[in-house]
Amino acid sequence: MDPKRPPFPGPRGATRLPWLQPAEDQGQLPDQSPLGRARGLVLSKDEPLPGRGRALGVPVESPVRFGRGVTQSVSEPLVGMGRGVQLPMQEGGFGRGRGFLLPTPEPTVGIGRGAAVGPMPTRDIERSDVQEKMPELQAEVAPIITKVDAPGTGSSLVSMFRGLGIEPGKTWGRGAAPIGRGAAGDFGADVQPKPSIIGAAALTPERGDACLEESISFLGRGFVGVGRAALPHMGVGRGPIGPSGPMSPIPAPFSLASAASISEEAPIVPGTPTKVEVKIEIVKEPLQKIGTKGSPVSIGSNYIPICCKNDAVFQYHVTFTPNIESIGMRFGMMKEHRPTTGEVVAFDGSILYLPKRLEEVVHLKAERKTDNQEIDIKIQLTKILPPSSDLCIPFYNVVLRRVMKLLGLKLVGRNHYDPNAVVVLGKHRLQVWPGYSTSIKHTDGGLYLIVDVSHKVLRNDSVLDIMNLIYQGSRESFQDECTKEFVGSIVITRYNNRTYRIDDIEWAKSPKDTFTLADGSVTTFVDYYSKNYGITIKELDQPLLIHRPKERSKPGGKVITGEILLLPELSFMTGIPEKMRKDFRAMKDLTMHINVGAEQHTQSLKKLLHNINSNNEALSELGRWGLSISQEILVTQGRTLPSETICLHAASFVTSPSVDWSREVVRDPSISTVPLNCWAVFFPRRATDQAEELVNTFTRVAGPMGIRVERPIRVELRDDRTETFVKSIHSQLTSEPRVQLVVCIMTGNRDDLYSAIKKLCCIQSPVPSQAINVRTISQPQKLRSIAQKILLQINCKLGGELWTVNVPLKCLMVIGVDVHHDASKKSRSVMGFVASLNSMLTKWYSRVTFQMPHEEIINGFRVCLLAALQKYYEVNHAFPEKIVIYRDGVSDGQLKTVELYEIPQILKCFETIPNYEPKLAFIVVQKRINTTLYSYGSDHFGTPSPGTVLDHTVTNREWVDFYLMAHSIRQGCGLPTHYIAVYNTANLTPDHLQRLTFKMCHLYWNWPGTIRVPAPCKYAHKLAFLSGQYLHSEPAIQLSEKLFFL
Amino acid sequence: MTTPFSPPLYMQRYQFVIDYVQTYRPRKVIDFGCAECRLLKKLKFHRNGIQLLVGIDINSVVLLKKMHTLAPLVSDYLQPSDGPFTIELYQGSVTEREPCTRGFDLVTCVELIEHLELEKVESFSEVVFGYMAPGAVIVSTPNAEFNPLLPGLRGFRDYDHKFEWTRDEFQTWAHRVCREYGYSVQFTGVGEALGHWRDVGFCTQIGVFQRNFDGINWSMSNAECLEPSVYRLLYKVVYPSLCDNNIYQKTLVNEVLYEAQHLKQEWLSRLNMDSNNNAHFYGPPFMEALQHGDACEWQPVYQQDRSICVPLTRVWFSPKVRALCGSVQRLREELLEEERVRMSADGTVLNLPADDEEEVEEEKEEEEEEEEEEVVKTVSAVSNSVEEDWDRELGGYEGV
Repeated sequence: MDPKRPPFPGPRGATRLPWLQPAEDQGQLPDQSPLGRARGLVLSKDEPLPGRGRALGVPVESPVRFGRGVTQSVSEPLVGMGRGVQLPMQEGGFGRGRGFLLPTPEPTVGIGRGAAVGPMPTRDIERSDVQEKMPELQAEVAPIITKVDAPGTGSSLVSMFRGLGIEPGKTWGRGAAPIGRGAAGDFGADVQPKPSIIGAAALTPERGDACLEESISFLGRGFVGVGRAALPHMGVGRGPIGPSGPMSPIPAPFSLASAASISEEAPIVPGTPTKVEVKIEIVKEPLQKIGTKGSPVSIGSNYIPICCKNDAVFQYHVTFTPNIESIGMRFGMMKEHRPTTGEVVAFDGSILYLPKRLEEVVHLKAERKTDNQEIDIKIQLTKILPPSSDLCIPFYNVVLRRVMKLLGLKLVGRNHYDPNAVVVLGKHRLQVWPGYSTSIKHTDGGLYLIVDVSHKVLRNDSVLDIMNLIYQGSRESFQDECTKEFVGSIVITRYNNRTYRIDDIEWAKSPKDTFTLADGSVTTFVDYYSKNYGITIKELDQPLLIHRPKERSKPGGKVITGEILLLPELSFMTGIPEKMRKDFRAMKDLTMHINVGAEQHTQSLKKLLHNINSNNEALSELGRWGLSISQEILVTQGRTLPSETICLHAASFVTSPSVDWSREVVRDPSISTVPLNCWAVFFPRRATDQAEELVNTFTRVAGPMGIRVERPIRVELRDDRTETFVKSIHSQLTSEPRVQLVVCIMTGNRDDLYSAIKKLCCIQSPVPSQAINVRTISQPQKLRSIAQKILLQINCKLGGELWTVNVPLKCLMVIGVDVHHDASKKSRSVMGFVASLNSMLTKWYSRVTFQMPHEEIINGFRVCLLAALQKYYEVNHAFPEKIVIYRDGVSDGQLKTVELYEIPQILKCFETIPNYEPKLAFIVVQKRINTTLYSYGSDHFGTPSPGTVLDHTVTNREWVDFYLMAHSIRQGCGLPTHYIAVYNTANLTPDHLQRLTFKMCHLYWNWPGTIRVPAPCKYAHKLAFLSGQYLHSEPAIQLSEKLFFL
Repeated sequence: MTTPFSPPLYMQRYQFVIDYVQTYRPRKVIDFGCAECRLLKKLKFHRNGIQLLVGIDINSVVLLKKMHTLAPLVSDYLQPSDGPFTIELYQGSVTEREPCTRGFDLVTCVELIEHLELEKVESFSEVVFGYMAPGAVIVSTPNAEFNPLLPGLRGFRDYDHKFEWTRDEFQTWAHRVCREYGYSVQFTGVGEALGHWRDVGFCTQIGVFQRNFDGINWSMSNAECLEPSVYRLLYKVVYPSLCDNNIYQKTLVNEVLYEAQHLKQEWLSRLNMDSNNNAHFYGPPFMEALQHGDACEWQPVYQQDRSICVPLTRVWFSPKVRALCGSVQRLREELLEEERVRMSADGTVLNLPADDEEEVEEEKEEEEEEEEEEVVKTVSAVSNSVEEDWDRELGGYEGV
């Protein structure tokens, strides 16, 4: 039972009696006020209900209970909500049947409602209350629950309750009253002997729109009042969005999914044929993931509530006898039976979803056209799903794509773009297409449309155009240059809207070559495009582009493999050109259009919502499945976590609202510093002045930071060739082994030189090194602050410690893991691993492992973890008791793998150490997510302040997770990071998880402020990037205790 | 219906229409009974000068479902076509007169008439040939004489067929139409039988009708197409084309600016080369202007005050610019009225700002940015006076 459930108000036992009577009365009224309508599977009036025979006159022994949040004593889902309900129909017609279901307009309900409108107590109080009351509930609640939703607007509801003589806003509580067992005995002869637990309740927490009422009804003979929590997400007074709406402080998870049936065995009357059980999807209990620390703030997010008006979605299994192999033929045959199934279907060849209920088993006939064989089609009801079921999400997303198309948006890749709002950047021959990425998700808060603003950069140039440019530039290395430029980039073809990733270039082929079509005929590329698309290929000597699709199987089971060949002439480039990325000015032109602030972001969202809601075709498309999309952006309550105290050597200070302590760190001494006694500076002749100036500035600024800087060995190079650098550094390090640090001043942005220096200093002759671009130190007015930054960085690289925050957990080890994939060389990926070694979290141990594609990351991880534990033991003479792992780069789809495979392996790893069982928290860090947070105040969206956390409503139903925005935003939108606690034997509470994470975001020493991810993740990222991009090998073990990779 | 033809018969029918379009280049085309819009989709690619493509079907559901397949592709925006192109879809019947449908060059009725009741064929002829009176009509219908060759066929080829004509029946009808409405017809078809079966004729018989040159007054053909009064317009899309002046201007300016920018970069990098004798300097590749051949036109890029001057004649060398403008004269005129391009007064030189490079700000290091204004400090020990101990908090759960 949900512990967060509010208490049931009203005196126990007594309250119930009065409302049984009215229930009967109500039964006579055929058309109820919306309040009294029991929603759900019950309502299929038009169709004869399946399972009739069974229901007829059967004294169902066991009560069928429907309710949210019923999790205990789940025995077996009972066959049919519909069935229990139907019985009344047999007896007295529908009116009466409904009467059973309508014991609703109870005072209690009204009170529950009112609470949503009136001022509310805090969550804490509510929760503790519930816990207290729980035992009683379990003992006493009668076995039948009817849930009734109340569509309509909040205000009308309130007035309705007023009409009933109830003052809204008085009490906070639920409208379900417990029913004593004794009473049950009075009414029903065959009352279920065992006391049952009812999952009633379910808060109606959503931001002030209490949208479902529940009550418990008792019907004699254990029949069931089936009710559904309807999900009028928007229909019902969504106060919070309007400025006047009260903000609910209860962000308790509110699950849309509702009808769950649990029962004891339902004995089947002899003579009734046994049938396939119709399962009703059970709703899980929401996870405990809500923290309390920090100050509440209004938060908007790019989540748009979706309301499902339908009561259920029905899942059927379709079998063809004799079997039909062809999916197409199956579709065709089902299509002929639209009069039976209705126009609204989702069918994948064997599973059929309908928004309406058919008979439990339907037999249809079809004729196979090829041989006139008569085919029997059996449609068997298998599941009754709440409309927000995960199984429905895929076809809702199909509906959504259709809606986007109806709005005139173009699908490019996975997102939709608006061709009428294109921004043309002529100077760069590219176009920026604004658009949206959209998806429907079922989160803790219910069903949401998640909309993100997306921009597609398309280029006016075909791949062939760019090949020509490259050819003009360098004829000798033409092929290499082309590979570098194109492999890994995405192209869109001229004859359809598909996008392809270029995996290779086929130099040996040309458009004059042939390929085999699906029907077996052979044609040349030239003929193919001319015949099918009327396109004349102009350049007959171009090579072909190769796209290798991932192996996947089509619904029919056909596996698609092999290469797709594309013509450069017919492929347009997408994405930002590499050359442009390096051009600051050009990027500014571009980012101006791409980086939209919160205000603009929400405007675009609202525009889309408006377009959807004012387009009749779109509305009817959605309406087919009973969906409607709100006009308003989700606004809810988040928290801003408390500010942290940054500790330097002696000074400490609370962070400012902008979480920036760049001034403090250069003014006061760092925690520990390493004196620069013996270091060498290498610079080409033309950078002599800058090098001299830099060294002088170092000496001037080092004092306040507590660093001692001696004069360096100055090595002037006759030129800036890579070879010259490498040779001099090498000979210097050999002749003077005491050198602590190598500083190189480079002219220009030179990856090859950088890579050579790093290879030398990280692998061959391990020594911390610092590369500086001469341009960075060429502006005298900026030199001082640049030198300060470099010096701090150098101190970290040598093993110094800059600052820390207090983490009130002892014997703790924090680990960060990130993986770097090289887009062009897809051979290997690199895992960076960083683990803390001391209680202040200022000493870090780092390792790198390389792995082949498809190789499990965990293999290398175990090696690193054991080494880190060993090192920890050396430093602390004990192993850590608690280990918190922050793992970056795990997608939603891989979470289960992490939980089921990686974590057991980690635990096994601990077993190799005798008597060692540390507590483990494994937190997945996701940066690339579609969630955006806005601050919200006075009808205006802005960027949220650093430390904003949101841990409900938009969160994942499967995991304990939260969204944290740790960094401060200068431009663009508030993109939080998503944290998922996949494993937590450390029993860290949601508050601990959130605050520990926020604290960790303060500890990245290359940036005197908070960053987007926990520092160990960022360190791991830096390390993996350096190793994968420049070193192509593991760095020397001697450096593993220094942050040499910063 | 599986037919033993390769490519499939329907494809051959479409190909027949495409070939016709390629040969006769009609500008305005109607496809009656367009259903799933497959022929329209083909014609959209094989435009051959079609400017207005109209699809009409009585079934609006199928049109609404398929209409989006006719929308412009992303590439149509990236490379606007030279000629205008519009697609319209209407719900309507071939037996109703719709003023909008008059004055077309070609009307295709592919496998359409056999779906009409025989008595309706008369009004179909009247509407298409008499009222709409297009320049040409292509009518295709099954040849009943071929049916015995189709394996397993009983009755008509489709359950919805109301009749299937022999060649004789079809030709009788066609000749009557020609007499009444002033057309001449040629018969052909697709899907030939093999060997001695050849006598039965094509599987699909096709009549190609050409309007005789006399008789009808064609003034109305140029009349503005008004709002449809009988049919219902379901979909209309105007493809981006260079005939749209906005698109033309935009495309031209983009090409010119791109080319000018390119020339400027080239010039700057050469300048840089001369002044800096560093052997290892690597700049962007630049082309020798001489490769353009006609050296007499060649004028140098130069700097004047704060701007780099690119002669228009240099920009004119770009094949893309040439393709857009017939002459330097036209290019000059187009650019002079364009505020996005800065030109010298006589319109011979483009002025580009010279100071691009100097302003580049250093913003390389991640997230770094200098803040100039003084930040108010919050100093030390204000909050956090309470010492936290999470271990103790955890103890409550663990009993440690």
